[in-house]
Amino acid sequence: MNAPLQMANLRGGYGDADVLFDVSIDLGDREIVVIVGPNGAGKSTAMKAIFGLLKVRDGSIVFDGQDITGWSPDRVVQAGISYVPQVSNIFSEMTVHENLEMGAFLRKGNFSSAYERVYQLFPDLKNKRKAIAGSLSGGQRQMVAMGRALMLQPRVLLLDEPTAGLSPKYMEQIFQISRDVRDTGVSILLVEQHAKQALAFADRGYVLAAGRNRFEGKGSELLADRAMAEMFLGG
Amino acid sequence: MLDFINFYVVPGIVTGSIYAFAAIGITLVFSIMRHAHLAHGDMATMGAYIALAASTMLGLPVYFALLLAIPLTAALAVGTDKLFYEHLRKKPKILTTMSTLGTALMLRSIVQVVWGVGTTSYAKGITRPNDWFGLKIKTNELITLLALAVVVLGLAAFLNRTRWGKAMRAMSDNRDLALLCGIDNARVITLTWLIVGGLCAISGFFLGINTEIKSMMGWNIILPAFAGAILGGIGRIEGALVGGLMIGLVEELSVLFIPTEYKAVSAFAILLLVLLVRPRGLFNGKII
Repeated sequence: MNAPLQMANLRGGYGDADVLFDVSIDLGDREIVVIVGPNGAGKSTAMKAIFGLLKVRDGSIVFDGQDITGWSPDRVVQAGISYVPQVSNIFSEMTVHENLEMGAFLRKGNFSSAYERVYQLFPDLKNKRKAIAGSLSGGQRQMVAMGRALMLQPRVLLLDEPTAGLSPKYMEQIFQISRDVRDTGVSILLVEQHAKQALAFADRGYVLAAGRNRFEGKGSELLADRAMAEMFLGG
Repeated sequence: MLDFINFYVVPGIVTGSIYAFAAIGITLVFSIMRHAHLAHGDMATMGAYIALAASTMLGLPVYFALLLAIPLTAALAVGTDKLFYEHLRKKPKILTTMSTLGTALMLRSIVQVVWGVGTTSYAKGITRPNDWFGLKIKTNELITLLALAVVVLGLAAFLNRTRWGKAMRAMSDNRDLALLCGIDNARVITLTWLIVGGLCAISGFFLGINTEIKSMMGWNIILPAFAGAILGGIGRIEGALVGGLMIGLVEELSVLFIPTEYKAVSAFAILLLVLLVRPRGLFNGKII
């Protein structure tokens, strides 16, 4: 089995109410998979389930052959999954470099090569390494957030709406960097509002609606699917 | 002019330093644990008495007694956290705040049972101030100022240069993200209490050595210490330093305009004014 991350038939939510009813998502090795769907479909919730941030009442989450359902966030990180939340995803009062350093908090020994790789992926950040992260532009902050998440050299990277509020130029850049990251051997699962652009860029996509899987397939197939397009992509 | 400095400015800065030690601790508790620490003054009292006990029972010079009181009070702070606050961590913070008031009363009662309600001091007799070209400063006052410089620089170096210091700043900045980085919140909290307890001992000791030792000494400085922390901007160490010093100075200078008995009112007035006009304080502190 080459899928490092498999979510199967998840049901769960934040309090007693369920948000997810039946969600199954597979993420393959070196694959970019996008979750799209209308607001309230449970896209971000599905992602948070991986990080033990909600009550999973049914179904399972398996990472690298190991059942990680209900693990605490720090255990999940240590296992090799990094998560970039949609908001408050940087240490805004710390410098760019310190943000990266905190990303590597769990790493022992010398990790200067990890800095090098992150600065290679995000050359913009290298000049700003001493800048306070909160003073950067939205796109650069997203880069800090992704860079921080990559410091542990995870096998899987989760991105929650990485392009929300960004200009088209930065959106393209974030997508391009995501491809570069994938090429270094990281599988990426992301949630996106910009469904068309995201499906065009991802390897595969899932469409969630009301807490259930509605469509899945290659990005290009989903984009070509008329029923799906009419329902979720505005025709 | 020299008289003005000797009678108002020097005592103001010394009092302000004591407030600053306390305010830095208060601001640290708030920035990591996000609640008020009303036991701060009484924990300082406890630190002052531990130093007194170490000095009288073991016959140590007072400043060596302080070096012993720092780790003991730090351990006490961690102990109160484990006993009284840890189980409230996930509950609304007002519960922990009220719980710290309970701790304050307990600590004060312990002091009163063990050492009584009387007034004492580290050294008997009156010390004469040193005279430097008319500038009159007592040795203890000078050491108070030096200690403040050492503590502030040491704390800054710890927070900016070490792994766990940065982890403290990260947790203060964005607690959820710190968790996602695998930073152990519980360990950061214990570390914070260690530092806060040590700071309590230092503020209590210097309050005792510059004035007198009594069971209400710490509770009496809790208002100006909070005022200093809030004036500087809650959660900001540099703010607590400046805020504490300013409150001390204003208190001493206020006797030029109001009767001495009312000088504590000036801290209260500043506190009200800051909360009304600029609740984020001088250094743009946190608001929950």
